Amino acid sequence: MHDIERRAFIKGAALGTLAFSVGGAEVMLTPRQARAANVALRTLTAERAATLEAAGEALVPGAKEAGIVNFVDQQISASAEDALLQVRILNVRPPYANFYRAALGAIDGAAEKTKGKKFAALTADEQHDFIGQMRINKIDGWQGPPGPFIFNVLRSDAVDVVYNTMDGYAMLGVPYMPHIAPTKKW
Amino acid sequence: MANEKVDVVIVGAGASGSVYASVLAKAGKKLVVFDNGPDWQLTDLISSDIWGRRIKPAGAPVLLEGKHPFGYTSQAGWGVGGAALHYFANFPRYLPTDFKMKSEHNRGQDWPIAYEDVAPFYDKVAADIGVSGDAKQEEKWRPAGTPYPMPPMKTFPNGEVWLKAAEANGIHLVPTAVGMNSTAFKGRDACIYDGWCHVGCPIGALANPVVSYLGEARKAGAEVRPLSTVTRVLTSADGKRATGVEYFDLKKERQVQEASVVILAAWSAQNPRILLNSATDKHPKGLANSNELVGKFMMTHHIAGTWALFDEDITPHMGTVGAQFMSYDRYPKTSYTGAFGSSFIVTGAAMKTNDYALARGDLYGSELAAFMKRAARGITRFTIFGEDLPQASNRVELASDKDEFGLPLARLIHSFDDDAIALWNANFDQGMKVAKATAAKDVWPGKGPVVPTSHLHGGAIMGKDASNSVTNSFGQTHEVPNLWMAGPCIFPTEGASNPTYTIFAVSLRGAEQLAKVWGTVAG
Repeated sequence: MHDIERRAFIKGAALGTLAFSVGGAEVMLTPRQARAANVALRTLTAERAATLEAAGEALVPGAKEAGIVNFVDQQISASAEDALLQVRILNVRPPYANFYRAALGAIDGAAEKTKGKKFAALTADEQHDFIGQMRINKIDGWQGPPGPFIFNVLRSDAVDVVYNTMDGYAMLGVPYMPHIAPTKKW
Repeated sequence: MANEKVDVVIVGAGASGSVYASVLAKAGKKLVVFDNGPDWQLTDLISSDIWGRRIKPAGAPVLLEGKHPFGYTSQAGWGVGGAALHYFANFPRYLPTDFKMKSEHNRGQDWPIAYEDVAPFYDKVAADIGVSGDAKQEEKWRPAGTPYPMPPMKTFPNGEVWLKAAEANGIHLVPTAVGMNSTAFKGRDACIYDGWCHVGCPIGALANPVVSYLGEARKAGAEVRPLSTVTRVLTSADGKRATGVEYFDLKKERQVQEASVVILAAWSAQNPRILLNSATDKHPKGLANSNELVGKFMMTHHIAGTWALFDEDITPHMGTVGAQFMSYDRYPKTSYTGAFGSSFIVTGAAMKTNDYALARGDLYGSELAAFMKRAARGITRFTIFGEDLPQASNRVELASDKDEFGLPLARLIHSFDDDAIALWNANFDQGMKVAKATAAKDVWPGKGPVVPTSHLHGGAIMGKDASNSVTNSFGQTHEVPNLWMAGPCIFPTEGASNPTYTIFAVSLRGAEQLAKVWGTVAG
């Protein structure tokens, strides 16, 4: 078989989509499409979602539009065995929603303590500085999972939605060359 | 309804378990292979760093403790094929020195066998599942042997850029022996160098268990029972024989599978966990553990990765995740003053966008975005694995916390000693010297507060007798003759090179022995 044919020997029509619940029905959307369609969140509260979206964008520009909130929410609403998040590799104990609640709560708690407002309400420069201090564990009075670990997890999630997709490869000019393209959900 | 008794139960459908399954099924034994994860098919192996996480462990974690915890989860597998479903298939051998560290250096332990005992099985494995490489060039460092069945893999600029710089530093790079097809082999296609090996190769070009030994075992009649978690090895009333295993099936219901022989092949953390959980009044400290060595001498390789970023396009995404080039020129255990242990060098692995982001894990925001664009054209890495010496304090033990089946979680405790840390630092110094001798625009050590680790060994080590070991050289436990251990758990030292070729070879040696002495073992 020719290489190109072998690379694409299983093709799909819905590249990079996840199953989201819309109006009681399961539909296949990319996280970007889910965000644009304002798909209801299943696990994250609006407050935690705002923190995640702001942190994701500060970590990896483009993560907000790429649907980091919908991606993480969909993933932590599924069983641990189906989860595709980096926390799985980092040996976080399921259910993963518990980690995200604690991590996002820690960010907001520290932001309020040091800046007087939640993370999403900080200016872009303030968010950047806060992330930098969190990365090296230099925020006084931090409570929750370690800041450097949260940095790694949320940065990885943001990298997933921005760069680890077929669109992300195209944006960087890197040929994706799949044997089997990610057709089912993501 | 009770399960019908079988000849053999194998716990774990990864590299070592699949070898035993193939040999024993072909010998006419009725056998069942258990795995706690899904029965992955090649069509499940989606080319995606995100989807690739599906074949990594899920559920109850291993508790990772100590000063330098293992990087367990990224290494382990979940489901049929085990960790070898997503391994990189680098196939370097151990060298003769690895088998006699105690004799040569008065450190660690000797294996009860020598390189010459394993060498024929390296050749058999190569013939069985296919290895690409240049044996002649490797013979600079090891005894001569049979040529590999396939020529070396293609090379690409992301590996070639290191050749002259390494040579200038006294490091001769040769084609890496890999368990991949540079040409079609036994009906399996040749590699097409797309670099998705680490999430599972669905075209059969990489010798994972599904397309090699386990596939052969199934053809010979072996049954694979997925989503079935073995919690205990059961023993006779007098404690002298294994009688089967207790497991929880895909409906999470308790079952018993009786067998004449039990083989634990569930990797180095889970094997001791099951042994320790199999305690009875006759084995109060755990099965095969009267000498209290089960779970001890856990070892892992430390990794010193040096990054180089070129302005020109060196096609970082091309090739395989296995290395293009390797060298044993820092393998002698006293290569560096003030450090001890072997070091093994590889370079030229294909990288994907996730790797670009990891190359500068400190960057975020606009700096990360700019870096990603550069990395997409010019990133590459020079990697040195270093040896960890066996210490009894590096161990697996049972935690008080339990999983959904009532099996206590494994606590995996590990700290490198001063020698290992000195070796890790020396390897970074070495890597930087080489990187600076390339034409790269920027070079930096991939060094942070956490010591990266790779591969897992020990926990039920082999030796001459029960005074210093859990098993003999074939993996047969000293205490229970029809209970065998398979995989890197029986390695008393770990060398520095990727272990899976040796896992296959040592398992094949054990499996052939078991088939040979079946009558005396199975009773």
